[in-house]
Amino acid sequence: MTRILLRILCCFLVMTPVYAKDYLIKNATLHTLTSTGVIKNADIYVSDGFIMQVGRQLSIRTKHQIIDATNKHVTPGLIAAWSQIGLEEISAAESTVDHRTTLSRYGASFNIAPALNFKSTLIPHNRTQGLTRAIVAPTEGEKLYQGMGVAISLSNIQPELSQEVIAQFARYGDQGAKIAGGSRAAAYMDLDLALQEADYLRNNRSQYKPGHDWHFSLSVGDLDSLKLVLEKKIPLVVHVHRSDDILTLINLAKKHHIRLVIRGAAEAWMVANELALAKVPVIIDPLMNIPSSFESLAIKLEGPAMLNEAGVKLSFSNMSSHNAYLVRQSAGNAVTYGLPAEEAIKAMTINTAEIFGIKNYGTIELGMEADLVIWDGDPLEVTSHADAVLIKGVKQSMVSRASRLKDRFWDLSNITNKAYVK
Amino acid sequence: MSYIIAFLRTLFVILIVVVLSACDPVPESSTEVASQPFESTYNPPTTSSFLIEHATVLTGKGKQLNDASVLVEKGVIKSVGNNLYAPANVIRYNADGQWVTPGLIDVHSHLGVYPSPAIESSEDGNEMTAPVTAEVWAEHSVWTQDPGMPLALAGGVTTFQVLPGSGNLIGGRGVTLKNVYARSVQGMKFPGAPHSLKMACGENPKRVYGERGQAPSTRMGNVAGYRKVWIRATAYRKKWDDYLAAIGAGQELDEPERDLQLDTLAEVLRGNILVHNHCYRAEEMMIMIDIAKEFDYKISTFHHAIEAYKIADVLAKENICSAMWADWWGFKHEAFDHVRENAAMVNKAGACAIIHSDSDIGIQHLNQEAAKAMAAGNKSGLALQPKDAIAWITSNAAQAIGIAEKTGVIEEGKMADLVIWSGNPFSVYSKTNKVFIDGRLVFDRSDDSKKTVSDFELGILAPEGERR
Repeated sequence: MTRILLRILCCFLVMTPVYAKDYLIKNATLHTLTSTGVIKNADIYVSDGFIMQVGRQLSIRTKHQIIDATNKHVTPGLIAAWSQIGLEEISAAESTVDHRTTLSRYGASFNIAPALNFKSTLIPHNRTQGLTRAIVAPTEGEKLYQGMGVAISLSNIQPELSQEVIAQFARYGDQGAKIAGGSRAAAYMDLDLALQEADYLRNNRSQYKPGHDWHFSLSVGDLDSLKLVLEKKIPLVVHVHRSDDILTLINLAKKHHIRLVIRGAAEAWMVANELALAKVPVIIDPLMNIPSSFESLAIKLEGPAMLNEAGVKLSFSNMSSHNAYLVRQSAGNAVTYGLPAEEAIKAMTINTAEIFGIKNYGTIELGMEADLVIWDGDPLEVTSHADAVLIKGVKQSMVSRASRLKDRFWDLSNITNKAYVK
Repeated sequence: MSYIIAFLRTLFVILIVVVLSACDPVPESSTEVASQPFESTYNPPTTSSFLIEHATVLTGKGKQLNDASVLVEKGVIKSVGNNLYAPANVIRYNADGQWVTPGLIDVHSHLGVYPSPAIESSEDGNEMTAPVTAEVWAEHSVWTQDPGMPLALAGGVTTFQVLPGSGNLIGGRGVTLKNVYARSVQGMKFPGAPHSLKMACGENPKRVYGERGQAPSTRMGNVAGYRKVWIRATAYRKKWDDYLAAIGAGQELDEPERDLQLDTLAEVLRGNILVHNHCYRAEEMMIMIDIAKEFDYKISTFHHAIEAYKIADVLAKENICSAMWADWWGFKHEAFDHVRENAAMVNKAGACAIIHSDSDIGIQHLNQEAAKAMAAGNKSGLALQPKDAIAWITSNAAQAIGIAEKTGVIEEGKMADLVIWSGNPFSVYSKTNKVFIDGRLVFDRSDDSKKTVSDFELGILAPEGERR
């Protein structure tokens, strides 16, 4: 029944300009990330951007292209849970960086969406390595509440500018204390006060008019933006490392009934049970095991496995943009240190989708958008590569600026002639 | 002081004899050999002989031996191969299903000079008070209790070169250390390893000094800065060499004034200190090669050589190593032309390829970094094997820092710096099981009593426990 409904839905989609063809991916090892688990020698039928059938030896009558995936693995396209893709071309070149502002009037209300650059070279660089989506977030700034992020698709056709805000980002711990005059205690008071004021404002909004002389700790714009957090429409993602700081934030979230997500999370494994009980997910880089500050002394490679064991929902990011795709190496290392492989892949797909409320993406099953990667080997292995990438059913180019440079210099004879490109 | 001069005189006479007999026109004298300040005190304890059996051995120099053994006696590799004879009483490690490689070597680390936790008071890697600080030595900044060191050891790194940062045109001397617990940096210094000189091209020095309104503020300013100081160093070297030749010939002369900065540079000109040059762009590397020719010194290695693939043929011809990342790019403009196949392309051209870390995280999985760089080359059509790519983090690295005679390869007579891996080290799933330095078991994953805990980590999380 659902299938029929989807068919009808797809007919509508055909009316709009969609470049998706129909594909039959044959004979693959599928990492479905559903209760079905891994299926070997299985096929996926993709039509009009959606996964329409999953099973063994599918027979499809309508016109389609076959992608032979014998001895290959298929996963959903990967998503980076925290990045600045599209907001930064060269990190040290200020003019190419848009994910932060030194203006103190923008904190929670700082929305990075208008700045996104869909011609960024970071998009093909990451896409050709199997990353199909990314959460894009603000950084730094002058306030504890740093602003709002969006989810982007790394498609080379019809880049989609999603204006839908998916999270509010903030910081506590060392970074938060630095903003709050040097003390965590002041940072806590400011985080708490802003939520109280935002709550007051949303209940008394009609009494407020421009020019009104209301005294809040933040601008009315910033407080308005926190409404989405108070209404639980979006999570509050807080950067924090120390175990007791995490507990402090769990209590703050309980007090204000908000959806909390912990990012960084060096010492999260020490409070894994508390995080599980409070249903607080964790965005973490499993490869990060250096005690780089006094707030992250207990960091270790076994952390992600221990969090999973306790029932904490994991989401992975290597906190990088240029190489956001290397989240796969981080995930592989989490498996080496005890995390089940399918949990590691979920932390780069469906878990992140669920945390940020991204619909119809993240598993291989009927009705999901066809963000799919065909890997030439184990998707968690450092020597594996993406052979083909589909985003919303559209097969993507596997060319990037780096691959063009490689082609130009692969053979160094007659190098001066290579300036001329057909 | 007269003792030193007497020593120098004797040394110089010996050198002259050697030089004349070899008909070498370059006198290999030194103003420093006599005093040997901050000499290595590393002295590995005598260890029992042992045999690693039934392992897949990557020798570090192009060979993979299956079901092979490695015999170690007195901290030195005695033999490697199939069906080795070993005395009945040696300790035997059954490495069935496991792989053995030389201990990994990182030619670019800031462990100890930018230690963890990163707090301002211990950031000691970059003396950014003048564009040329050849007089500073990284070893004088090393905090031996950096918790990054035991972590690197757990990643199989037995030797690493600590370099000053890249804020200066000439940042100072680097030092090569054995990854062992010690109370002093002298206790970690690799015996007999040459010093290195850290030089830097491009954005960093011109930004640091340009922002202060002083030279250099451009790349051409950088080049003028190197050349000006090499002119002084050449004159200084000549003054000292002439002096030593004169007193060697029996003349009585006043000793020339010593200059700590020029001492180091003169030693580079004499070939006793190896040049490690941070340089991203092809055209800048080509300029640096010409400067080296102008002043008659040798560049050992270009570090962070993002564009090495563009001039791999030249680097092969000039016999200069390239130390590269597998995949870092885009953090600054000079790192924009990265290709994932860089190391593979340098290797393909017959040049010396090295994977380095410049990172306290990367140093812990140099094997994975090499694996990614190898796989990228293979995806573009090459057929690189682990036996080839292991050289990028062992023998080639040893060559770059002047210790290839001593370590970096599993063969008779080399230091027994060895790693036993749970499986193929070019897999994300493989971990180190055991690490040996000079035949001493310094890390054993299955035995907590064989895991280094730095002074810093002792009782830091809980008074009775250790951070690990």
